[in-house]
Amino acid sequence: MERIIQISITGGKGGTGKSFVATNLTILLAEKHDLLLADLDLEAPNDHVLLGINKLHNKEDIKIFLPFIDYKKCTLCGICAKICDTGAIFMPPKSPPIVFPRLCSGCKACYYACPYDAIIEGGHVIAHSYLTNVTKFNVSFRLLTGILEPGEEHIPPGLAIIKRKARELAKEILLIDTGAGAGSSIPIALQYSDLVIAVTEPTPLGLHDLESILKIANGLGYRTWVIINRYGLGPIDDHLKIMKIYGVEKYFKIPYSIDAVKSYIQGIPIVVYNPDSIVSKSFYDIYQVLEDEIL
Amino acid sequence: MSSFDLIEIVIASGKGGVGKSTIAASLAILLGNSGYRVIAVDADAEAPNLHLVLGINKWDRIIEFREGRIGFIRDDKCIYCGYCYDSCVFSAIEERNGKYVINPWICEGCFTCSFVCPVKAISFKYNVLAGYIRIAYNTPYRFPLVSSEIKPGRPNSGKLVTEAKNLGRTISGGKGIIIIDAAAGIGCQVIASLAGTQLAILVAEPTPASFSDLKRIHKLTKHFGIPSTLIINKYDLNEEYVSKIIEYAEKENIELLGLIPYDDSVPKSMAIGKPVIHAYPNSDIAKEIIKIANKLLTILRNWNNWKLEHIPEKIEPFIPIIIKPEK
Repeated sequence: MERIIQISITGGKGGTGKSFVATNLTILLAEKHDLLLADLDLEAPNDHVLLGINKLHNKEDIKIFLPFIDYKKCTLCGICAKICDTGAIFMPPKSPPIVFPRLCSGCKACYYACPYDAIIEGGHVIAHSYLTNVTKFNVSFRLLTGILEPGEEHIPPGLAIIKRKARELAKEILLIDTGAGAGSSIPIALQYSDLVIAVTEPTPLGLHDLESILKIANGLGYRTWVIINRYGLGPIDDHLKIMKIYGVEKYFKIPYSIDAVKSYIQGIPIVVYNPDSIVSKSFYDIYQVLEDEIL
Repeated sequence: MSSFDLIEIVIASGKGGVGKSTIAASLAILLGNSGYRVIAVDADAEAPNLHLVLGINKWDRIIEFREGRIGFIRDDKCIYCGYCYDSCVFSAIEERNGKYVINPWICEGCFTCSFVCPVKAISFKYNVLAGYIRIAYNTPYRFPLVSSEIKPGRPNSGKLVTEAKNLGRTISGGKGIIIIDAAAGIGCQVIASLAGTQLAILVAEPTPASFSDLKRIHKLTKHFGIPSTLIINKYDLNEEYVSKIIEYAEKENIELLGLIPYDDSVPKSMAIGKPVIHAYPNSDIAKEIIKIANKLLTILRNWNNWKLEHIPEKIEPFIPIIIKPEK
């Protein structure tokens, strides 16, 4: 089997242009390569919106483990409640444990910890995944989208399932778009990256959150590039300093332009909507360096 | 002055980068100026930025948040059976050069791998430093700021947010207004931000992505039975989506607080670490934010009636999708 190349787009701060970058690079990369775009921003997935895709296909449940108690076997020993980190198992006095599904992360520690085999495996659907074949804008690629059920909060185990699926489905290039933030979901999305691209903006907020992401990418030991989106809005001196500290290999600038907003609202990637825009030109540069140095 | 002792207001949006922190900072200042006792809480532990918008870089108190464990595999004991690798639901265990290694950036310390390991090769580091709660009691704006900050990659940011909120409540002494600046998304941090609060200010920009995320965050405020208001930021980006969003808000009984235009006074004020209403008091943005604050003050003065009119009619129950074990 040929090795797949995983490129992960992340950034820390929300709204810096992660999905904007992911969708535009998708169009450019899909011309010559087999590409799977995985939208792993389960809380606020937008890649399909930016690509103007109205309907997602091939829906599947993302099911995590949920304990059920076998009352015939349970001795009320309380070990399951003690081992549970999320408070999902409650032991009322002299009664069998009660499970709160919403609190359960599905880690399965209780299942293995119970000395009496009194925990039975059930499931809890916290999200759905969709696999959509896209033929649009003169290219073809596949889009894997993870969508969290509103109200659910244990994202990492669900994300790990969708991520595994993405790794299995990808044939040549796996392009990952992560959510905002720098919490425990991000390393799962970035895991096994051949290249991490952090998208930031020239503001102190972008800078602050970029540093959190660079700490993760650096800690994980992945090659990292940075894209400074909306270049021109403010100074980037401090961005450059921290990029040096965390060993960022390369950086690119995407100038601030109203063209980007226009294409974004239309649901058409800017490289298609306005190929002559200075923003599109930045994407061609990034694409070319990807071709030369990663693919 | 008003019909409440303490009110907690959450600023949320689903989508990131639409202006939550900018709006939270300005509203906290303006409500404080109007005589309310205000406490600001940065509940975006994974990307805490409110202090940057307010230009605060000194903390009076920093509390460590120690939470959870990280596992590691002892090479001298491991027999390479791979049971741990198969059991980890977080995919924290990686195979590297024929060895199993726990990735410390992913491990949540749940103990599952240590139960399945037949040779007890897995140990844990306990009481891991996972983040901080930082407090500035005397900001230039006279209100205290409580800021949560999770260490990059650490889990349980929702728990940290809950602790930061509780600290905000303690500092308030049960009186005043707590402004909570929530994270992007609809996950554990946002749920922790919304829990137990009385009013949501949803921020959207007129783009298809933000509209899509607005509907998702509003679903959550309805789960919690919290009345919602709306600010459309950067409204001049696109007229069509402004009307779509307003139409949605009217249908859902979300009160529109105002429309804020876009110009570069916001990034410029960020660059100098000053809230836009102070850095550019004569900008259209500042004027609009002041109008929004006044509208908010009217709501607060008339709180009991307003709440009754705007509380979600049907609280959308949250029913997890459960799959029972096969018999």
